[in-house]
Amino acid sequence: MIKRLTGSGLSRREFGLLAGAAGLTFGLSPASVRSVLAQEAPNPAEIIAGKSPDMIVLNAQLGVMETPLKLLRDHAHTPKDVMFNRLHFPHEGDASWYATTEPPGAPRRDDWRLRIDGLVERPRSVTIADLEGMDQAKRVMVIQCAGNGRSYYAAKEKVAGGQWKNGGMGNIEWEGVPLKAFLDDQKLVPSSLAHWLTAHGWDQPATFEGSGFAKSYRLSDPALDNAILALKMNGEPIPAVHGGPVRLIIPGYYGNMNVKFVTTLLFEAQQSPSAFQSVGYRMPLVPVEPGQFEANDYTIYNSVPTYGQKIKSVIFSPLADDGAKAGDVEISGVAFNDGLATITNVAVSADGGSTWQSADIKAPESPWAWYHWSTKAKLASGTNKLMCRATDALGRTQPLDGLTRWNPRGYEWNGIDVVEIAA
Amino acid sequence: MRLLACLLSVMLLAGTAGVAAQDRFNLPDGPGRDLIYGQCRTCHDLQSLVDSAGISRRAWNAVLDNMRGFGLRVSDQQRAQILDYLATYLGPNPPPAAPVAEKPAETVDGAQVFADQCIGCHQENGAGTQDFPPLAGNHDLFLAPDFPVVVVLHGMGGPVDVEGKHFDNEMPSFDFLADAEIAAVVNYVRSSWGNDGLASGVEPVAADTVATARSKAMTPEEVHAYRASLK
Repeated sequence: MIKRLTGSGLSRREFGLLAGAAGLTFGLSPASVRSVLAQEAPNPAEIIAGKSPDMIVLNAQLGVMETPLKLLRDHAHTPKDVMFNRLHFPHEGDASWYATTEPPGAPRRDDWRLRIDGLVERPRSVTIADLEGMDQAKRVMVIQCAGNGRSYYAAKEKVAGGQWKNGGMGNIEWEGVPLKAFLDDQKLVPSSLAHWLTAHGWDQPATFEGSGFAKSYRLSDPALDNAILALKMNGEPIPAVHGGPVRLIIPGYYGNMNVKFVTTLLFEAQQSPSAFQSVGYRMPLVPVEPGQFEANDYTIYNSVPTYGQKIKSVIFSPLADDGAKAGDVEISGVAFNDGLATITNVAVSADGGSTWQSADIKAPESPWAWYHWSTKAKLASGTNKLMCRATDALGRTQPLDGLTRWNPRGYEWNGIDVVEIAA
Repeated sequence: MRLLACLLSVMLLAGTAGVAAQDRFNLPDGPGRDLIYGQCRTCHDLQSLVDSAGISRRAWNAVLDNMRGFGLRVSDQQRAQILDYLATYLGPNPPPAAPVAEKPAETVDGAQVFADQCIGCHQENGAGTQDFPPLAGNHDLFLAPDFPVVVVLHGMGGPVDVEGKHFDNEMPSFDFLADAEIAAVVNYVRSSWGNDGLASGVEPVAADTVATARSKAMTPEEVHAYRASLK
């Protein structure tokens, strides 16, 4: 082994050895360099068992990966092997059980307890079997990482963290026990001081000092009326990596709000002090500029958690490498929001925003699912800049310049989508 | 020159084939780099840093504050070194790569190497955590003259029972450390926290022993098997 691999300290002999090991010779074309790099990329299935080898890995140790749009567009409901993933702690040691798309096995599932505690007179604990015995409801919804699209903020100033493109989302059918009815049925007798509900996940940080993962919601939040304690994803028990055996699903809310591996629901007077609630996954209340507001300047007074998804649309076809030719083309994609209002218009431009036309919109499966839209246009020879912009019945729309929503943690990107096609 | 740089980067990846996924990301050589290798990989691999390259010093400073919230515990001096490295080599205007002068062996302090590289997992007092095995009172340190040396060099992957407790975690490779640094840290660990009472007649590890072990490539799994063969 050569000690210092980085830097230019390699001797000629070492250089030759390495070049030989890599099967390289001088005069290599850029294309074959890329193919060597591709071979060395981590296999997503070795990071999370069952994941498609085509997933784009953003962090191996934390199991972070996004879906190429070419895979995403092929399915009405995003299958587990291609669904994006984000974990917050290493899936090693005791936590290796959730590094798979298989659902948690019998002993873990049978022994699982969901505790409901805090400012209530009668704390409770239920099993998965208890939950399975209750009335179930389905929710089809777009689940999306709050950091999806983060890489696009780099056009203003690059933001630290995984450089997500548009693939940190999926359209999923969840099924489970409606949360509000469940809490009522438990006859917990909450204190009048309880204003927040906090969900804790099973996952723990790698060190004692780290903050555990928890999210808090106002008990009066109407979004909780649609929430479920989900047991199934796309008709089967939830894969471990996606939060099985039970995940709190709040339709319309960003991914991090949908706590995986739920172990505890706490009635609280205040929101959780977990760093994931109090500093992380928040948006400034007012627009901020780089240098004016830093990644740790967030407080519960100057910012809000990444709750409801901002309206957004994404072009699924044609993509840059679809080989679209000049002439007639169908431009299609999806749009979604927080489910509070119908998406009434998707404006599409094939000429870089000079002219716009309204796409045909297909009715969604639910208020929180993605809306499919499509329209016909003509591509010119040369470079075509395709754009799309969704608007809903409340008049909420996507900023033409998404950079106006720049924030130091790079959340909630919803600028109009732009795809450049060389026809 | 650009082609050469490109080839080098390809070879860096190719040269590490077979090691754990989290070790694929090499950072440019520079003061403070090894500290990052030692501290950051407790929780995440280095893609987080590589992919964030180009952000400002302010933003890196905020990242470090943020990481404190996630459990990073370093001294003020270590923090300053890490920030200087990130702001320089992964900042908006990184300098051209230049080799760092080798540290003379006589200046290597095993306690300092331990503080820079090991405490994120094994803790300052060597007691470990529920996830990471203890070094204090760990008889494995004396399984063979080169045993902890190969663990530091090549990492170790697989379940282990240490002093009656079960662990299943992967230790990354620390082969970026110099021979003298690895020898010093192994000698420090073998002689600290009462460990010198666990075995008698143990010779201090010399840098040459590390060099010999380094010449024999092993995977973390092979190191795990080697440990089992010594039991």
